[in-house]
Amino acid sequence: MSAALVVRGLQASLGDLAILKGVDLEVPYGEVHALMGPNGSGKSTLCHVLMGQPEYTASGSALVGGTEVLGLPVDARARAGLFLGFQYPVEVPGVTLRELLEEMGQAAGAGAGYWSTVEAAAERMALAPFLGRPVNEGLSGGEKKRSEMLQLLALRPRVAVLDEIDSGLDIDAVREVAAAVEAMRSPDLGVLLITHYSRILRYIAVDRVHVMAAGRVIRSGGKELAGALEAGGYDAMVREAEPAAPPAADDFLQGL
Amino acid sequence: MLPLTEQTFARVAATLPEWARPSAAAGYEAFSALPPPDPRQEEWRYVEVEVDLDSLQLAESPGPPLPPDVALIGALGEPAGHAINVDGHTVAVEAADGVRLTALGPALAADGETLRGVFRSGPGPRLDRFAAAHHAFATDGVFFHLPRGRRLSAPVLVEFQATRANSLALPRLTVLVEDGAAGALVLHYRSPSGVPLVAVPQVEVVVGQNARLEVSVIQEWGDATRAYAHQTMVAARDGALVLAEAGLGGVNARLHLRLDLEGPGADAQVLGAYFGHRRQTLDYRYYMLHRARHTTSNMYLKGAVGDTARSVFTGLIRIEPEGQDSDAMQTNKNLVLAEGAEAHSVPNLEILANEVRCGHGSTVSPLDPEQRYYLMSRGLDSARADRLQVKGFFEDVLARFPQAALEPLLRRSLVARYDGLQREQSR
Repeated sequence: MSAALVVRGLQASLGDLAILKGVDLEVPYGEVHALMGPNGSGKSTLCHVLMGQPEYTASGSALVGGTEVLGLPVDARARAGLFLGFQYPVEVPGVTLRELLEEMGQAAGAGAGYWSTVEAAAERMALAPFLGRPVNEGLSGGEKKRSEMLQLLALRPRVAVLDEIDSGLDIDAVREVAAAVEAMRSPDLGVLLITHYSRILRYIAVDRVHVMAAGRVIRSGGKELAGALEAGGYDAMVREAEPAAPPAADDFLQGL
Repeated sequence: MLPLTEQTFARVAATLPEWARPSAAAGYEAFSALPPPDPRQEEWRYVEVEVDLDSLQLAESPGPPLPPDVALIGALGEPAGHAINVDGHTVAVEAADGVRLTALGPALAADGETLRGVFRSGPGPRLDRFAAAHHAFATDGVFFHLPRGRRLSAPVLVEFQATRANSLALPRLTVLVEDGAAGALVLHYRSPSGVPLVAVPQVEVVVGQNARLEVSVIQEWGDATRAYAHQTMVAARDGALVLAEAGLGGVNARLHLRLDLEGPGADAQVLGAYFGHRRQTLDYRYYMLHRARHTTSNMYLKGAVGDTARSVFTGLIRIEPEGQDSDAMQTNKNLVLAEGAEAHSVPNLEILANEVRCGHGSTVSPLDPEQRYYLMSRGLDSARADRLQVKGFFEDVLARFPQAALEPLLRRSLVARYDGLQREQSR
């Protein structure tokens, strides 16, 4: 069986500004990987390029469950099995979480058991009271992340990319999110956790860690890589990987 | 059919009580003297009127009423009363025991004294040539009267229909809510599609001390109707006015609204949800006048335009020197759903008192691409995502409409309007 997510030579730019410069990455089914990197390394861009946010121009390849998603509209990528948990989930005024979940079920052609499964999950995640409230409006950081996880469960994707799932959360909320990710682990799903800090990795048994810098994955390894990062910081690893790499700021200047 | 001539005017005026005739005479005089609307006037900016009033005729007798709107009547449950005016003639009135909902013609004959302070107290004949025509030639309408202290729990339903091709329909609604009384009214405007006609309804509402009236207008004129409605609402000390309008119909539909907060402590809440399509112009001219201390008002209108439709909102809050300690807010938000569509939003303030709180806000924007992207990332195609966003856009204003029973109906109509937009033009 092919991997859940296979990314090859992925390049992406925003206008004239090149951000991803050939990303290679593979997340097999059943595994949870972490993608780490300093601010500005392109982690969030990778998320949105995979999801198909229209402002980026992309080339290369991204296979979700064997389907090439580059070039597809955003919704077709979701139907191919890609889920992106947003770092900043967007508020949708006047649309309740229940309405959104119902629309998602209809759009996915979900079967009769869909709603009872979703409701049970909402109950379990203590989100039942939020079903009747507008999507992401007035929710705390932790509540937004839980709401994203509920939508993930409803869609049953092949690949879950969770962008900064732990940012802005207190330690209890990080534990909760980590537990939710562990609970999702399944032979039908590959998870890519995007994170700046190694904190959440204390609570999740990740199978692999990838380190990104200046638009490329510069190191991949086991969980110990996160420990090395914590000890030495990103700078040391970036210098070690690409001693001649120009400072990231140059790319920005070139883009002007 | 009767032409708009002096002879017709004389016939109409003869049916009015003596005391009301001067207003009809003033109407005819203004009708003869006033020029047609001119887009160079601020009052008619952004609007192409394209009506030759003089070529229109009055329906001497009403056409058959339109089929009942079962969904609306069902939503209202058991209205306290139901009146139907067709082509200017009130053809049916039913009212629960003790509810004073009557045809205006007979009421003028039978109860002139009660009506004297209210009838034609509203929009004046010189407002424009349409108002002049109304004063000169209107014969009938509906009178709703809540005597002192009377409080109705169910709303009354008033239907203004126009059916005759090339006619001018001039229905009038006169509402008197005496001190301490409270009630609600739903006004439904309708005409058949494809029948070219002009409607000039006038609505006048007088609300006494500590009294309250909620008016919900559902504007569903047919697609060949040009409607120029004038409405005034006046509140005495601690009186409360609510006006909510859902604007959907007409090829060119105007609502000229004036609210007078005459007594200290009076309050007005004005809500609006409108959605124009095809080549419609939906045109709102709202005037909020604070004429006494501690008066409060809030206008909140949301609209969308698709295809090559146009919307106009010009709102004025005027706080008179007597209006110290007033609080007024005016908000108008617009969604523009197609390149050929346009929304004009022109809020104005005129503040002549120094101790007031007053604000306004207005936006004109396309659908939010961030929301679209987020919703599509959940597997919704762009049409589904945009539809949900449009539904969500209207949600907060619908929630504030006074008749909660109408909310599902109005939501359905607004979403159906979005669904009917020409796909290739919406984005």
